[in-house]
Amino acid sequence: MIFAFDIVILVFLVIAAIISLSVKDLLSASMIFGIYGFLICLLWAEMGAVDVAFTEASVGAGISAVLLVATVYNTKRKSSD
Amino acid sequence: MLSKVFATIAVVITGGILLYGVSDFPGFGDPHSPANAGVPGQASISQYFITESYGDTKVPNIVTSVLADYRGYDTMFETVVIFAAGMAIFAILRVVGDDSERKPRRKQESSFTNGDHSRIIIGTTCRLLVPVIQLFALYVIAHGHHSPGGGFQGGVILAASFIIIALAENLNSALKRLSETNYLKIACIGILIYAGFGVMCQVLESDFLDYGVLQPILMTDGPEMARSHSMLGVEIGVAFTVTAIMFAIYANLSSRGLLRDGL
Amino acid sequence: MIVTIISVIFILLGLLFFLGAAVGLIRFPDFYTRTHAAGKGDTLSSLLVILGFAVYQLKDFHGFSHDWPILLVILKLLAVSLFIFLTSPSSTHALMDAGWEDKVEPEIGKGRPNHLNDDCGKF
Repeated sequence: MIFAFDIVILVFLVIAAIISLSVKDLLSASMIFGIYGFLICLLWAEMGAVDVAFTEASVGAGISAVLLVATVYNTKRKSSD
Repeated sequence: MLSKVFATIAVVITGGILLYGVSDFPGFGDPHSPANAGVPGQASISQYFITESYGDTKVPNIVTSVLADYRGYDTMFETVVIFAAGMAIFAILRVVGDDSERKPRRKQESSFTNGDHSRIIIGTTCRLLVPVIQLFALYVIAHGHHSPGGGFQGGVILAASFIIIALAENLNSALKRLSETNYLKIACIGILIYAGFGVMCQVLESDFLDYGVLQPILMTDGPEMARSHSMLGVEIGVAFTVTAIMFAIYANLSSRGLLRDGL
Repeated sequence: MIVTIISVIFILLGLLFFLGAAVGLIRFPDFYTRTHAAGKGDTLSSLLVILGFAVYQLKDFHGFSHDWPILLVILKLLAVSLFIFLTSPSSTHALMDAGWEDKVEPEIGKGRPNHLNDDCGKF
C-alpha cells in the first residue's frame, strides 16, 4: 500500500462518482460509471486484493458498462432531473 | 428541488455515521486486529486459512480454496443468484410469439459478412481478437488455483467475447454461435454441475460439498488432490452459468427481448 | 545501468506523447481532430511505456539458464503491447465511424468543401 497513490486514486474516485451522478446525459453517466469501476479496480489491486480487483475489472469496467449503454440505447438518453 | 435538499441531508448524515464507524477500525494490515490475531482464548480463522489451507486442499491460491471449498455452499448460491437474475431479465423482456407490437429501435440489416464494407476494419480486428480473448478466458478458468481468477471472472470474459461479436457484426451472428436454446441449456447445466458435486458427496455418505470423499471416483492420490480437482469442476460449472447468463442479459437488453436487430 | 537509462528514455518519451495527446484532446476544434489526437498519441505512448517496462526487466538478466523467467515477463509485456497496438486504433476508428454516421459537423475553413453528406450510407 502506497499512501500517495492511494490518495490520488481516492480523489479521482470521488470526482468520478460525483460527475456520474450529476451529469444530465445518461450515456456519459454510464461511461463515467465505467471509469469509476476501473478506478475501484486499481484501488483494490494496489491494496493487494488481486482476486477482487480482477472481478471488478471484468464485471464493473467491462460488462456492466456495456449493459448500461444497451439499456440507455433502448430507453431515453436525457435524465429527468 | 426540495427532494434534492432532503436527499443531500440524508446522504451527509449517513456518510457521517459511516465515517464515525470507520474511525474505530484497526489499521490497514494491523497484525494485532481481531481478524488477524484472534480474540483472547481463541485463534483467528484467517491464521488457520493461511497456515492450513494448502495442506487441506493442495491449492496455492487461498482465495480460491476458501471460495470453492470452505464456503462452497455460499458460492453455489451466488451462482444461483446470477441464474435467477438472468431468468428475471428473460421473464420481463423476452417476447415470444407475435412480436409485431414491439418495434426494434433501429433496423440493422448491414453486416460485415453479407457484403457491406462499412465495418471491415472492426470486423477483421474482432476476428483476430476473439479467439485470443476466449483462450485467455479458458486460461483464467483453469488457472484459478494458482493465480487470481476462477470461474466467475473467466465466465465474464468468455461472455464478453460473444458480446464483442454482437457489437462488431450484429446480434444474429453472435446468436448463430451461441443460440438461445443453447445458452439456456448451458446456464442450467452449470448449476447442475455444481450441485451435482455436492449431491455426489452425499451419495458417498458424507456432507454436502465435502469433496474429500470423491477420491475413489476421481482416482487421485489422496483426499487433498480430490478437493483440488473437484474445485476445478465446480469452477467450470460457475463459468458455464456466468457465460450463458451474461450473454443472455446482453442479448435481451440490447434488442428489447426480440433477439434480432440489436445494438 | 545502461538498461535503466534506456528504459527511462522510453518511458519519458511515452509520457511526452501522452502529454501531446492530452493537449490535443483539449485544444483541437472539432470531434474528428480531437479523436485523431487521442487515438494516435494514446497508442504510441502506451506502446513506448510498455516497451520501457520490458527493457527494464532486463536489468537482472545475467544468463539464459538461470534467469529465463524474466524472458517470460518480457513476452507477456510484448503481448500486452500487441493487444494495444490492435485494439486502440480500431476503437478510435469505430468512434470516428460512429460520429460520421451520426453526421457530426466537422469544423471547416471558409471556401473549403464539406464532404460530410456526400457518401453517407454508401460506405
